[in-house]
Amino acid sequence: MATLHLLSHSPFSDSRLSSCLRLLGPEDGLLLTGDAVYALQPGTAQLQALQLMPAGIALYALDEDLQARALHAPARAQAIDYPAFVELCGRYAKVNSWL
Amino acid sequence: MKFAIALFAPSHAPSSRRALRFAQAALDGGHQIARLFFYQDGVHSASGNIASPQDELDLSGEWRTFVQQHKLDAVVCIAAALRRGVLNAEEAQRYNKPAANLEAPWELSGLGQLHEAAQMADRLVCFGGH
Amino acid sequence: MSKSMLIISRQAPWAGPSAREALDIALAGGAFDLPLGLLFLDDGVFQLAAGQQPGALQQKDLSANLQALPLFGVEELFVSSRSLAERGLDEAALALPAERLDDTALTLLLDRFDLVVTI
Repeated sequence: MATLHLLSHSPFSDSRLSSCLRLLGPEDGLLLTGDAVYALQPGTAQLQALQLMPAGIALYALDEDLQARALHAPARAQAIDYPAFVELCGRYAKVNSWL
Repeated sequence: MKFAIALFAPSHAPSSRRALRFAQAALDGGHQIARLFFYQDGVHSASGNIASPQDELDLSGEWRTFVQQHKLDAVVCIAAALRRGVLNAEEAQRYNKPAANLEAPWELSGLGQLHEAAQMADRLVCFGGH
Repeated sequence: MSKSMLIISRQAPWAGPSAREALDIALAGGAFDLPLGLLFLDDGVFQLAAGQQPGALQQKDLSANLQALPLFGVEELFVSSRSLAERGLDEAALALPAERLDDTALTLLLDRFDLVVTI
């Protein structure tokens, strides 16, 4: 039962991303929203960690948050809008938000 | 698909706006919202007393309009609300507080409503933190 | 058949209401006989440290709520062994009997619940 994990905190000031990465199942998805998109900042250990995730783990980022921060989704990640966010929730068995 | 949407953050938090945009997209996409449940600091997102500057987003106003427009089941957790000073007229009177800041379409109820919504929906999606 | 819910509590006990409000969700679910699990992760493991004195902060004792969990049918209690070790608690006696799980076991744990809420 694959889980979509939802993150919204900056990975530089917070341990949610690293804790989440340790718990990810091989078919899970990771959606970065809010300040969590800073994990896609080039030249960072955080981006490297995301790039190193097994290929079976899908990585998504909310496009409005990327845009606001002048960030771009690398090839490894897919930028999505709200309609796609809604559909994504249906594709995974459950959604786990790291509040 | 039926969604239960829980909000744990106040209206100035980006996650509150994200929750609303998500909820709007869910309905626009032909899905249903079984219930909105506001818990922890999310109770502030239901406050009727927020006076946003004219040039800023009035998110609590947008939430209210959204709930009313779509006649959604919108519940605020009573225990979380009371300890954060979000009261309807009945509770303000009960606790002898000077003002009520919660009114329709919001209903005060218990955590059981969150569980019920999670059980009857196809997906529970929580928003909160930042 | 009811959907099972895993509640992941990752806040320290006196960092605000999150620790207690996560427990409240567990107790409310237990009161409705829902199949629930509670996992203490990251700073949440500090909730299980023995000998705490919340009265010093004029706070309610969380341990009463923790002890009440089995009474409400919430018997599946878990704690991250990594989080304990990081915080110097791996040799400590915990205030509650919780099953210590490593990261691999935690991944499997999340997988077997229908719902997960991380507070």
